[in-house]
Amino acid sequence: MMKDIVAALEKKRESARLGGGQKRIDSQHAKGKLTARERIALLLDEGSFEEWDMFVEHRSHDFGMQENRIPGDGVVTGWGTINGRVVYVFSKDFTVFGGSLSRAHAEKIVKVQQAAVRNGAPVIGLFDAGGARIQEGVEALGGYADIFLENVLSSGVIPQISVIMGPCAGGDVYSPAMTDFIFMVKDTSYMYVTGPDVVKTVTNEIVSHEDLGGARVHAAKSGVADGAFENDIEALAQMRRLVGFLPLSNREKPPSVPTFDDPERAEPSLDTLVPANPNTPYDMKELIQKVADEGDFFEIGKDFGKNILTGFGRMEGTTVGFVANQPMSLAGVLDIDSSRKAARFVRFCDCFNIPIVTFVDVPGFMPGTKQEYGGLIKHGAKLLFAYAEATVPKVTVITRKAYGGAYDVMSSKHLRGDVNFAWPTAEIAVMGAKGAVEIIFRADIGDSEKIAARTKEYQDAFANPYVAASRGFIDDVIMPHNTRKRIVRALRTLKTKKLENPAKKHDNIPL
Amino acid sequence: MFSKILIANRGEIACRVIKTARRMGVKTVVVYSDADAGSMAVDMADEAIHIGGSPAAQSYLVQDKIVAAVRQSGAEAVHPGFGFLSENAGFAKRLQDEKIVFIGPNPHAIEAMGDKITSKKFAAAAGVNTVPGHMGLIADAKEAVKIADSIGYPVMIKASAGGGGKGLRIAWNSPEAKEGFEGARAEAISSFGDDRIFIEKFVDQPRHIEIQVLGDKHGNIIYLNERECSIQRRNQKVFEEAPSPFLTPETRKAMGEQAVALSKAVQYDSAGTVEFIVDGNRNFYFLEMNTRLQVEHPVTELITGYDLVEQMLRVAAGEKLAIKQKDVGIKGWALESRIYAEDPYRGFLPSIGRLKRMKFPAEGKLDEGTVRIDTGVREGDEISMFYDPMIAKLITHGKDRAAAIATHTKALERLEIRGIQDNSPFLAAVLEQKRFQSGDITTGYIKEEFPNGFSGAEASPEVEKVIVAAATYANVLMRTRMAGISGRIEPARPQRKDWVALIARKQIPVNIKYQQGEAEIEFVGGKMHAISTNWLPGMGMMELVFDNQTYALSIATAEEGFVIRRLGVEAHVKVCTPFQADLHSRLPEKQKPDTSKLIMSPMPGLVVSVAVKVGQEVKSGEAVCVVEAMKMQNIIRAEADGVVKTVSANAGASVAADEILVELV
Repeated sequence: MMKDIVAALEKKRESARLGGGQKRIDSQHAKGKLTARERIALLLDEGSFEEWDMFVEHRSHDFGMQENRIPGDGVVTGWGTINGRVVYVFSKDFTVFGGSLSRAHAEKIVKVQQAAVRNGAPVIGLFDAGGARIQEGVEALGGYADIFLENVLSSGVIPQISVIMGPCAGGDVYSPAMTDFIFMVKDTSYMYVTGPDVVKTVTNEIVSHEDLGGARVHAAKSGVADGAFENDIEALAQMRRLVGFLPLSNREKPPSVPTFDDPERAEPSLDTLVPANPNTPYDMKELIQKVADEGDFFEIGKDFGKNILTGFGRMEGTTVGFVANQPMSLAGVLDIDSSRKAARFVRFCDCFNIPIVTFVDVPGFMPGTKQEYGGLIKHGAKLLFAYAEATVPKVTVITRKAYGGAYDVMSSKHLRGDVNFAWPTAEIAVMGAKGAVEIIFRADIGDSEKIAARTKEYQDAFANPYVAASRGFIDDVIMPHNTRKRIVRALRTLKTKKLENPAKKHDNIPL
Repeated sequence: MFSKILIANRGEIACRVIKTARRMGVKTVVVYSDADAGSMAVDMADEAIHIGGSPAAQSYLVQDKIVAAVRQSGAEAVHPGFGFLSENAGFAKRLQDEKIVFIGPNPHAIEAMGDKITSKKFAAAAGVNTVPGHMGLIADAKEAVKIADSIGYPVMIKASAGGGGKGLRIAWNSPEAKEGFEGARAEAISSFGDDRIFIEKFVDQPRHIEIQVLGDKHGNIIYLNERECSIQRRNQKVFEEAPSPFLTPETRKAMGEQAVALSKAVQYDSAGTVEFIVDGNRNFYFLEMNTRLQVEHPVTELITGYDLVEQMLRVAAGEKLAIKQKDVGIKGWALESRIYAEDPYRGFLPSIGRLKRMKFPAEGKLDEGTVRIDTGVREGDEISMFYDPMIAKLITHGKDRAAAIATHTKALERLEIRGIQDNSPFLAAVLEQKRFQSGDITTGYIKEEFPNGFSGAEASPEVEKVIVAAATYANVLMRTRMAGISGRIEPARPQRKDWVALIARKQIPVNIKYQQGEAEIEFVGGKMHAISTNWLPGMGMMELVFDNQTYALSIATAEEGFVIRRLGVEAHVKVCTPFQADLHSRLPEKQKPDTSKLIMSPMPGLVVSVAVKVGQEVKSGEAVCVVEAMKMQNIIRAEADGVVKTVSANAGASVAADEILVELV
């Protein structure tokens, strides 16, 4: 008797696991995509996935839908572990109704979202779906809104990660949009509010899926995506890596892993990182890679706003967030894209107790009508705001230029930087010597000899870290080769830092 | 002996001279340009004097500045190194006039040997074999053809002032002789401002073998045996060895004696090199004499035991040569390769920039031989566009040629250079070739063995196993470590033993019994192998003992798996669970994007000019822009027909390798 019951259950499970059937699974593979369950299996520790709501079916009776029910209803949900740590997942099943969202489908997602926020564990959503289930009409729209609300309520409480692994359009884009990170898979995923057909009808513009919302577009142009990967397998391997850097919720300290790296490791080659010519670029990523444990750096937004670097690394085994101006791109200037990108990253770190290490080489804000018309004032202010409000440990190293307002912005002492170092090559000033002299000594502009002498005078007086250090804006001038050791020691003192902002409902960051 | 000398050079050779001077108790002064302000030579020398801008024409080639530096520092003598002013008779004369000792031969000897035509006349007069050819000036192409016809083909048409392959043509018949003469002359005028051309017999199966000579101011001259430098790429030496695997004692003696005779004819009084071309029947002909220390001098030092820089200093100071010809022997075998900042996978284009990581094997004993590294850069230094892009010379010594090669291979294996591309994969591939190992080499070797350039070496089955073992070990170690993360809800389970290594689409299933530091790995259907290593995450090199054989591998993490390189072999290995490997096999292979419509800069450089505008029609092969790198102008051409969609290149802007310059539709 019992045997039959077990057999019946097993049969039910089996049919659920097949989703939309073998034919659709094969078609999914042929397109270069994995199935919802395969993806979960790769993302989580082997055998750790516990599926919920496998037997949920939609409740629609319109347009013949009552004849067509598939257990699971287009999304696989549940929880499992990544390196033994709990994460909640939902994975859209394109083989079932194209992954479209019904009321029941939405309820499944909301269930894991609520559990995650209650229990303090991240939610990872894998997207590959065709939007709302039109047959359900407003029921589906309500379902979307329920998910959005949970996204918002969870924001800042648990990390939320979205991986776009197929189509993601219309209402489907707004849930990922409100999560902390969006990653995409090149060539097989796209994301947009309205697709090429609608675009053509409304604006007469002819554009392909890939050019409208492909991974490259969002990772490099719009900045909607934080990274793009070659295929599903690589993307999921990298998600496992990312989760290894993140605390499971804002109730936790960042995780630590055993490290093989010497905290006092000196890097003599850093002494020559900054070139002799102040206008010659150098690769700031080298500094991050030589300072971080084992050179391991998980970059966020690698192809967007390249003039600033953001991402996670570890110091003595514990996660830190790195933010660094990148002189290789636009001389490391702050513009709209880089300010937005870094501001969001700083706020993420602050939400989740991740100390921020900032490397500064910034010539200022980007001039020009394009920037001003685009609202540089408000976008630039986002980064300023983010650094100022952040209460997590903040360690700053100025490697070269720290000019003007951008100096203030980049985790300066004035914005409650905890430990602010400068390399001997640092130039902390209102602007570069040339520009300054042309303003102060406007009368002498015709006389190139005088200007040269004044420039040198200004250079000698201000193009160094000592003026700032004499005011206490810099705590110490350090040798580049000791940077890792000095940051490690600073972070040790900040492990028990306590700082709170005034009580408020929430702040009003210039969005 | 001098108490202080000035080195009118930079980089590796400046450091090399300082080492010997320091050992001899002689103080050193180096001069430096803007680009070399923080260089290793500047740090090593007792004094350093800035002499001007980065281009050599503003610094290392300016005699006034060098002389002023000598005066300022109070140095008694100048070592010119090689290149720059080392073979400039005017400079040697100037120093003589200013009562400064030139650590090199007398100006007369430099002058006599400095011109290819004059030097041949001297050689012929001294009874040295010369290549049949025409020594006089050639008026026009018609005369050139007549001369070529009379010498008999093939002939070589060469600019008198030429060097480094510039202004050189080979002609196999009359029309080619005409064309070759015109081409060589045009290049001679543009490169050297000197249109003198000579024509000579082209030697078949040629080998480049040169004799090291050493003379003093008392009329003593000896030869320190030969060096074979036949492995050349576009007439630039790649490998140099001593002795030559080709010479008999009789030929060696004959060549040595002729070299000495020529040196005597010009009262040669320093270290110098007489270059010969040797044909398949061991006939040898005089090519030219280099009146300076050669780049490849270390191989001679290692087989003879003499420090050539020390000898140069001693004879320059007026000492008599203490070495007698009969003392000069050959001890073992020495092999040198030049590690260059160039990309062998992209036609050896220069790959200059910052040495983000640079680690060499330790000098001294390695395997059965010894290693010597001559370099002028350290990790974090820059290989600059202003000078020769050599990173280092790797020299190994062993009891015989096989031992020198084996140690050389081991040393190349342990070379770690990151940030720029270097030619070591190519060097290693040459060393692995049976033909090289057999000593059957000619100056055409590289052209014959790599007719289509270099695209990496194939992994042997054994090396593939080693690579798979390394990746599997690294994978399990990293997974084991991540399992130790804080915040687990349940204890970690032991790592699985069965993995599938993927190289491209090839699946290699293995079982590993792992513990940190050592493991046993079984290739399914094959044997069990014991491995051990002290590699840890973050290290760029993994020394792996595989079945008691030690291998060194360069290892880097990729988005999925590892990129592992060893010598010329490179493999991207993904270490998968069987499930993951199965999924990989289900996904179709991605088509490589069509980049023929993207015109990208093949190397970092400066955009000199852009020849196309948006909307313009472009044919395949048409020049679209010019990028300058290493002072060479490279014409970038379209690879496909199309219409220009975007132009991203701007004249005057610097571009990175692979940066898109122009996009076509």
